[in-house]
Amino acid sequence: MADKNGNTSARQLEVRHRSRFGQIGIYFGKFIRMFVYQSDWKVLPMAALIAGLVGFALGREFRINMEGTLTATFAVVCVCIWNGSFNSIQVVCRERGVVKREHRSGMYISSYILSHMMYQLLLCILQTVVTLIVLHLVGMKFTGSGMFTPWMVVDVGITLFLITYASDLLSLWISTLVHSTTTAMTIMPFVLIFQLIFSGGVFSIPKIVRPIEMLTISSPGLKALASQVNLNELPYSAVDKMIRMVDKVEIGGRVTLGQVLDLLQDEENPTVSDIRSITVGSRMTLREIGEDLLNNDSYADLRSQKLTDSLTVGEVVSSLMQEGVLDEVLDTEVGKTMTFGEAVDYLAADDTVSQHRDAGLDIHMTVGDAIDLIGREETMANIRKTASESMYDPDYEHTDENIIGNWLHILLFVLVFAVLSIFTLEFIDKDKR
Amino acid sequence: MSNILRLVLTLLFDAYSPVLVAVRVLYIIGAWLLFRKSGIASWWSLIPWAREYHMGRCAAREPEGRYLCVTSMMVTLLSVLGICVQWNPDNKTLIALSPLIVVILFSVLLAHFVYNIRVFAGFTQVYGVSRWWLVFCILDELRFIPMLVWGGSKKYQPAWKVQNLKAEMERLATHGSAAFMKEGLTVNLKDRHVKEFFQKKYLLKDIHLAIPQGHLVLLLGGSGAGKTTFLNAVNGYEKADAKVTLNGNDMYTDYKKMQYEVGFVPQQELMRGKDTVKRTLLDAAKLRLSKDIPSHDREKRVNEVMDIFGLIPVQDNLVEKLSGGQKKRLSISMEFISNPSLFILDEPDSGLDGVMARELFEHLRQIADTGKIVIVITHTPDRVIDLFDDVIVLAKDSSRTGRLAFYGSIEDARTFFGKQTMEEIVKSINQKEEGGDGLADEFVLKYAEVQNG
Repeated sequence: MADKNGNTSARQLEVRHRSRFGQIGIYFGKFIRMFVYQSDWKVLPMAALIAGLVGFALGREFRINMEGTLTATFAVVCVCIWNGSFNSIQVVCRERGVVKREHRSGMYISSYILSHMMYQLLLCILQTVVTLIVLHLVGMKFTGSGMFTPWMVVDVGITLFLITYASDLLSLWISTLVHSTTTAMTIMPFVLIFQLIFSGGVFSIPKIVRPIEMLTISSPGLKALASQVNLNELPYSAVDKMIRMVDKVEIGGRVTLGQVLDLLQDEENPTVSDIRSITVGSRMTLREIGEDLLNNDSYADLRSQKLTDSLTVGEVVSSLMQEGVLDEVLDTEVGKTMTFGEAVDYLAADDTVSQHRDAGLDIHMTVGDAIDLIGREETMANIRKTASESMYDPDYEHTDENIIGNWLHILLFVLVFAVLSIFTLEFIDKDKR
Repeated sequence: MSNILRLVLTLLFDAYSPVLVAVRVLYIIGAWLLFRKSGIASWWSLIPWAREYHMGRCAAREPEGRYLCVTSMMVTLLSVLGICVQWNPDNKTLIALSPLIVVILFSVLLAHFVYNIRVFAGFTQVYGVSRWWLVFCILDELRFIPMLVWGGSKKYQPAWKVQNLKAEMERLATHGSAAFMKEGLTVNLKDRHVKEFFQKKYLLKDIHLAIPQGHLVLLLGGSGAGKTTFLNAVNGYEKADAKVTLNGNDMYTDYKKMQYEVGFVPQQELMRGKDTVKRTLLDAAKLRLSKDIPSHDREKRVNEVMDIFGLIPVQDNLVEKLSGGQKKRLSISMEFISNPSLFILDEPDSGLDGVMARELFEHLRQIADTGKIVIVITHTPDRVIDLFDDVIVLAKDSSRTGRLAFYGSIEDARTFFGKQTMEEIVKSINQKEEGGDGLADEFVLKYAEVQNG
């Protein structure tokens, strides 16, 4: 400060002004006031609203099956990135002129950015808490014990906070780079799309560009969150949905004689059990019995009875009547009154038939029929197992190392963006006039 | 055609088919002729990319020329990448990247097209021809036609030429310096330049002056004369090739400490609108005053300043709710709080009516009377000219560099320029295209002669 005559003595130049550390307090206090006056508090209800919508739409299958959980997890990561990004995308560029003026008056850029970081840290913690509460209320619950704390919700909270905070600092950096809010808001969608496309979980991207995932916050965020909810261990029930969708699809083709006979002897099948007791006649040969079954109107009901979802008795008997290995057996004289079941058993017990159980029969059938012929429960169990194995992703392994690795990955972004923000804003006095 | 030859042709001509190469050769000849007419070394037309930049300069569209240069570079590189894809049809990486290359190439070509149009629009102005000539620019292959016509025909002469900056600088150079002033502000500024696209662009040149303490100084000049640049160079925020001392202390070498000795009030009200007046001043005080000052003394100083500038009644109001005059006073008081030796104000009266402006300048006169140096930029100086001691006149010379056209008392300025009002002085030094008399170079030379003795 000058003396009363306006002179600036050497002693006066030794006046000690606030250090970088001291200035952080000034700006942190200022930003807290802005929280109240500038309506920054509105980001909290916004976070609640977004979390509520996501939870409402995707919460039903969360932690029930693998695919539902992956989608919900991805959506939660998106919510965090969205929250973080919009917290700070305009904070520096909207007051760039003010920053420049204050920098001229002795403000340290590092103090300014660090106080922003502290303020945003507080905001991100609040947003994470709000998000978790809302998700819990709409049914996306992170119950159980965590890997690092006794409560899973705390572990998950750390992940959500880190994703939010890293996105926040990415936006802070962008805000230091650009000179106007319009430019910032133009860049923002590209950044968000980049984060979502290269998250690595939902979108299939060419192998050659996969290393780019390392540069996104969403990728380690999704990996950490998926690991915490133990995604790999959840059933992959999309297979059941898929089979249900194609169950009625006609595939035609060939089945073995053995499969058809087994089906007709399966007493546990209520339809088979019912029709086996029906007397089908006392003709001389099985072929005559078969032809009678296929042509006589009195057997019309029997013919239309379903042995599987779509395969009828008529179709099965017709397939047995095809020319081939059964010719000789079908022409054997039986000479007594027989039920349907006895006729099938007679056929199955024949030596020639036994030797030709693998012989193919042309039959009209659907995917469901084929599965039923093989054995539905066993087949579905096999499909589920294979699907789960193929969906297993080592990135989502439920281990401490995996989660900590991803946390550190996100923390690295936090550090990098903080340094970049300070470095970029240091050039504010080089702004083009 | 061998791949190597294709690659070389693409690098040189952005094409490898014989017809397109021939077209590009004609384009280069056209550029050669245009450069010769515009005063640029013709051999630049032989250098890919640099050629596009100089095309922009010839068309008085230097910024567009820069973008044209960058987009040309990108087009060439992407074309080379395309050739590499053709070269290695089995390379899966390149094949996978090819859709990306196509998308980027498309975007770059679009930008390239737009900048080409802008540069050629500049040519139509420089050569005073109809805009219909731009039809030839729609296709890259036809651009050589106007270039050959404008460059080759004597009928077409450019209205503007790229000047030999070095010669111009020599012509207007001032040799000498202001005598060092122990109590006051001494400015010996050799030049202030920025580097744009590998070229030095001079914003200010040869400004030497010494302002005694207690002077209220008017800084006058047309738009683009470098007034704000000069003030930034004086207070050390944007360093120039200069030596600036304030009360014997070097503004540049002691910048970290001297920055508190300078109060710079910007043109706009750069304050946070959502903070209260008192809080804004308290924070300004924390930033600008010594940290050893106890908080009650700091608050006392804030109250004192609020009282001086009449802000007590609105101390709890949000800044955004203040009137224009109140905001100006707050902006000034934020700098005044540290009682600086040098006070600089950039158009403090903008947006104020005559009465309020007069009141504000009277306030500044009082501050100067306490022994401080106050430098003010204003575009309406005549209504308050009686309050000023000195005037600095900056003028934009023919090479668009800000130079000192005069520094001295108001009366001397009137005599020097032969004008009665400050507005007339500004009009005389403004360029003709700005509605002025275009006498900047004359006055700069005249003042340089005075300074050179």
